Amino acid sequence: MDDARRARLTEWLRAASGDAALAIGGMTLLSGGAIQQNWALDVSGERSWVLRTDNAATLAVSHGRAQEYALLRAAHAAGVTVPEPLFLCEDPSIVGAPFFVMRRVAGTAAAHRVVKGETFGGGREACVRALGRELARIHTIRPPREDLRFLGEPPADPCLAFVADQRSALDRQRHARPVLEWGLRHLERTAPPPVPAVLVHNDFRTGNIMLDERGVTAVLDWEFALWSDPHADLGWLCAKCWRFGNDAQEAGGIGPRAALYEGHGGVDDARVRWWELAAHIRWASIAVDQAERHISGVERNLELALTGHIVPGLEWEILRMVEARNAA
Amino acid sequence: MLREPPEGPDLLATARAVLLDELLPALPAEKAFAARMVANAIAIASREAAQDSAWEAEAVARMAALAGDPRAFAAAIRAGRFDPGAAGHAEAAALLDDITRARCAVSAPRALGKG
Repeated sequence: MDDARRARLTEWLRAASGDAALAIGGMTLLSGGAIQQNWALDVSGERSWVLRTDNAATLAVSHGRAQEYALLRAAHAAGVTVPEPLFLCEDPSIVGAPFFVMRRVAGTAAAHRVVKGETFGGGREACVRALGRELARIHTIRPPREDLRFLGEPPADPCLAFVADQRSALDRQRHARPVLEWGLRHLERTAPPPVPAVLVHNDFRTGNIMLDERGVTAVLDWEFALWSDPHADLGWLCAKCWRFGNDAQEAGGIGPRAALYEGHGGVDDARVRWWELAAHIRWASIAVDQAERHISGVERNLELALTGHIVPGLEWEILRMVEARNAA
Repeated sequence: MLREPPEGPDLLATARAVLLDELLPALPAEKAFAARMVANAIAIASREAAQDSAWEAEAVARMAALAGDPRAFAAAIRAGRFDPGAAGHAEAAALLDDITRARCAVSAPRALGKG
C-alpha cells in the first residue's frame, strides 16, 4: 500500500474511531489470498487490527466486504468466536476497494500444521467438540434478519436448493461435467426431507479456523455464508477432501467425528453424510471456476491453474461415494 | 527418430529434479510453496505427455453410443436416464469410472490409490 493510500486510511480511521491522534505504526500484508487481502495494522495505543479488502478479481459467488462485515457482527452477537468487527468503509477511494477493520487475533489456521498438531484447541477431542459448539452458535442465527437481508429468501428445501444451485453453476461452465452431474443426480434422488434453514457458514473447514493451545480463537472467512441446512457445515468440515491427508480424524483431519457431533448436539448422521458428498461436488465446481480464471486470462496464476487438476481426484471420490451409497 | 534426444519427458524430469534437489533447498522459505507448485506443474505436464491418448476416442465413442456428446451425456444423467435400475446404468457408471481413472492418471494419480 503506497504512502497516499496510507495517509487516506489514517484520516479515515481517525474519523471512524473518534481518535484524532490515531497513527498507523506498521502495515504488513498477512495473506494475499486468491480472493482477499488481509493487512496487519499496528495502530497507536497498542491496538492490533486487521484490514480486510478485495483483490482486483473476485469470485462472483462470494459476498462483498460490507456483507461480510454484517455477517461478522451477527456472529459476534450470537457468541461465535470471531475477531470483533470494528469499522466498515464502503468508499473504494480510500484504499482502492471497500474494506473493513477487525481486531487481530492470535493463533494458527494453517491446515497442514493444524492436522499434524496434537495440542491445538486443547487436544483433538476437545478441539472438535469446541468446533461443534461454534457451529451450534452459528446455527442459532435464523431468518428473517433485516441485517442479513442480502442473503435473500431462505430456501424451503435447502438440500434441493443446493442441487439446483450447483446445476446452475455447471451450466455456466465451459465444459460438461458428467461425473458432477452423476453425483448431483444421486443427491437429488436421495435428498433427506426439508428442514428450516439457518445461517450456514459454508466454508467452515480446517484452514479457516484459527486455533491456539486452549481452543478456538477465531472462525474466519464468512464470505460464502447462506441460509441452509445446518448439517451442510458439518458435512463440509467432515468431507474427506478437507481432512488434509489426515483421513482417520474424520472431523476436518483434526479429531473424531463423534466429539464434533456431541459439541454441536442434535446431529442427524445420515444428513451429514449426504452433505459430505455435496461438499466434494461443490469443491470440484469451485476448483473448476478457479482454474477458469486462469484459463480465461482474468488472472493468470499457477496456483489457480493447478487447482483445476484437483478436480479429477474429487470426481474419483464422488464416484466411489455414490457407488457405496447405491450399494447400501 | 528425427528429433534430437533427450526429448521432452527426459528434459522435464531432469529439470524437475534440479528444481527439487538443488534450487528448493537454496530458496528462502516463503518461496518454497511456489517452487513446489512448479514441480507439481512439471509432473502433471510430464504425465500428460506420456499418456497414451487412445482412451479419449474410445470414451467419446462409448459416450456417443449411450447418449451423444459430453453435454448430451451430462443432460441425460441429470434427467435420470442412467439411474440405478435403468437400462444403461452399469455402462454409464463404467464409462465414468474409466474416464475418471484416465484423468486421475494425469492430474492426481494418488487419488487412485484405494480405487
